Amino acid sequence: MSPDPLRGFILRALLWLPLCFAAWYGLAAIHAGVIGSLSRGAIDLFRPGLVTGLEQAGRELVFVTRILVHPAPGQSALVLPEVNPLLYTYGLAFFAALMLAARAKLWKLAVGVLLLLPFQVWGVVFDFLLQVGIRPGPEITNQAGLSAWQREAVALGYQLGNLVFPTVVPILLWGGFNRDFIAGLRRRM
Amino acid sequence: MTRFAVQFVVIVCLLFAAELTPPVQRALVIPWTEGLASLSAALVTVFDAQVIAAGRVLQSTRNGFAVSIEAGCNGVEAALILIAAMLAFPAPWRHRLLGIAAGLIAVQSLNVVRVLSLFYLGQWNARAFEWAHLYLWQVLIMLDVLIVWLIWIRLLPPDRVEAADVA
Repeated sequence: MSPDPLRGFILRALLWLPLCFAAWYGLAAIHAGVIGSLSRGAIDLFRPGLVTGLEQAGRELVFVTRILVHPAPGQSALVLPEVNPLLYTYGLAFFAALMLAARAKLWKLAVGVLLLLPFQVWGVVFDFLLQVGIRPGPEITNQAGLSAWQREAVALGYQLGNLVFPTVVPILLWGGFNRDFIAGLRRRM
Repeated sequence: MTRFAVQFVVIVCLLFAAELTPPVQRALVIPWTEGLASLSAALVTVFDAQVIAAGRVLQSTRNGFAVSIEAGCNGVEAALILIAAMLAFPAPWRHRLLGIAAGLIAVQSLNVVRVLSLFYLGQWNARAFEWAHLYLWQVLIMLDVLIVWLIWIRLLPPDRVEAADVA
């Protein structure tokens, strides 16, 4: 009797998941640097000059903006939104665990990691835009210069980047790389 | 698989757009979330009488620690993704409906475990709570969705044409 492929896949996924989470967290600072640079580039395309610098504090990204606030008369400060990229990159651990559980070829794993990058950047960029364009008061949002429809788009983009992409995109990629496994689960006549 | 992926993405977008509208929030999402908090409190009080639920908030009367069940933690998004996956996959409607019903029970059951585990984890260690809340449980819930979907595919009646279509 041949072993059940689905049961084996589930067991391997549960075993790989903690290892992949550990690897993801251990490499998160390096990964954050890559995501931060790509995110800054994406923001520059959308709003040239809005971000003047990018700093990294451990696993956290700090965007230096040209937006000025005046906390007290005669005082001014730059707005430095902080983004936790882990919120948008943990799907990498999920994807890796699924691919390793499916015993996929390593090149597929590598391609999938690259394909996840735009979605991770999406999450960071919309988190940043939410922090400068929607959440704060008018002193900051006016300088961010988002129109009404752009604010709506940012809110929707943030929801997608936060609630959907981190977990759904890894599954879609895994499914795309393992079509034969999925099709093979269905009984044939 | 391409057809499935396109249909899945379209259905997910439609369901999420509908979920975000105020009428659906008022009629379904908010009552569901409050019901989840009440159910969690009812289950907890079986072994811990010092827990109360008010709206979406689950609170310990012992130390005042409380969790508020928000979007992303109420299992609604996971349920919508499961529904979209079963609707997009070629299958008889009867099996789709049965799969959605059984799948929602499986996903929401695990979600209750998530809420309860986070409630106690938060009282024990804030860092562990944050890690489990933001990363680990998000993945476990989606892994649950994926496993339910794969088991459902295996339980579908044999159909050579539809299986070939998916591949």
